Amino acid sequence: MATPVPVLRLPKGPDPNSRGFDPNSPRFIALCRTSIPTSAAAESDPQQLQEEQHARSVLRERFLRCLLAMSNKKVRFHMHEKVNVEATFGASDIDVLNFQVSDLHTPIGVQKEALIRSQDVISFTFDA
Amino acid sequence: MFPSDACRVGPVFRRGQTDYWTVMQSGWLHSGPQLWLRCVHRQVRVTAGKQREEHRGWLLTVDPVSHSVALVSFGEDGASVQVVLGHAVEDVEVLQEPDPDTEERLRSLFPPPETGGPDPDERHWRRSGVRRWLQQNRVPVEEDGNELRVAHVLTIRAPYRPDDCSSANQIILDRVQRLLRVQPDQVPDGPVPPGTSDGL
Repeated sequence: MATPVPVLRLPKGPDPNSRGFDPNSPRFIALCRTSIPTSAAAESDPQQLQEEQHARSVLRERFLRCLLAMSNKKVRFHMHEKVNVEATFGASDIDVLNFQVSDLHTPIGVQKEALIRSQDVISFTFDA
Repeated sequence: MFPSDACRVGPVFRRGQTDYWTVMQSGWLHSGPQLWLRCVHRQVRVTAGKQREEHRGWLLTVDPVSHSVALVSFGEDGASVQVVLGHAVEDVEVLQEPDPDTEERLRSLFPPPETGGPDPDERHWRRSGVRRWLQQNRVPVEEDGNELRVAHVLTIRAPYRPDDCSSANQIILDRVQRLLRVQPDQVPDGPVPPGTSDGL
């Protein structure tokens, strides 16, 4: 089914109060409570803190490069209740809470633009 | 999603030369970025979702913000990457170390940008070319070491392509990037209009 479907509802715009990784921002607290804080061991030892920070930044950079490689590629989203949809990846937000995609193939037609919540997605796959 | 109280906290054990260990859900979450970094490039098995589906692959990275696990599998058509979202990860088990070929393929999958720039002479030549082009277009630009500074708000690093511009001011960034995109290959040694600063 490739009939384009008119936009059913517009996604909510970005929250003007949130800035980056601020763990105290209301958006972060409301939506993203599971992000790991610095470990207790690292808090007391500056050397360990530095190593932990270095590890975090290396891992995050690799993840961001992976996301960058994904842009404008066909991605298959594997969601709850065995729902699998395919779309063209646009972008993710900074906390990986939402994904912006185009040409989302759904059982009722093709959504030109859509916002997918990360809580609804179990995994997604693409070909590098 | 919070780890349930029924989560097992299993033993962490090592055997012989190859390290095999299972890190249970609460252990994986709390073991921190240093352990994750050590597991990168190893083959892992991830159990995800309520149906506890298993995904196997070479660990590319774990996102410290969302704990999403990125796995790579190599097939006939090339590599396919699967990212399992952090909230869905139930279990992660490390299976084996990569062989040198796989390690090389993993390294070259998403390479970091090259840190080595062009040699100093070519850099100087490119920098002058870009500076002259901007000045001919009446953009105030100065040379600052290896970088070009535009109106004190925009910086252009080597090798001075549109993507090397950085600025907090979106409008200036857009203007300068557009100019750099249409820059002719050989910027002629034309007269510099009066009033634009010359960094030399």
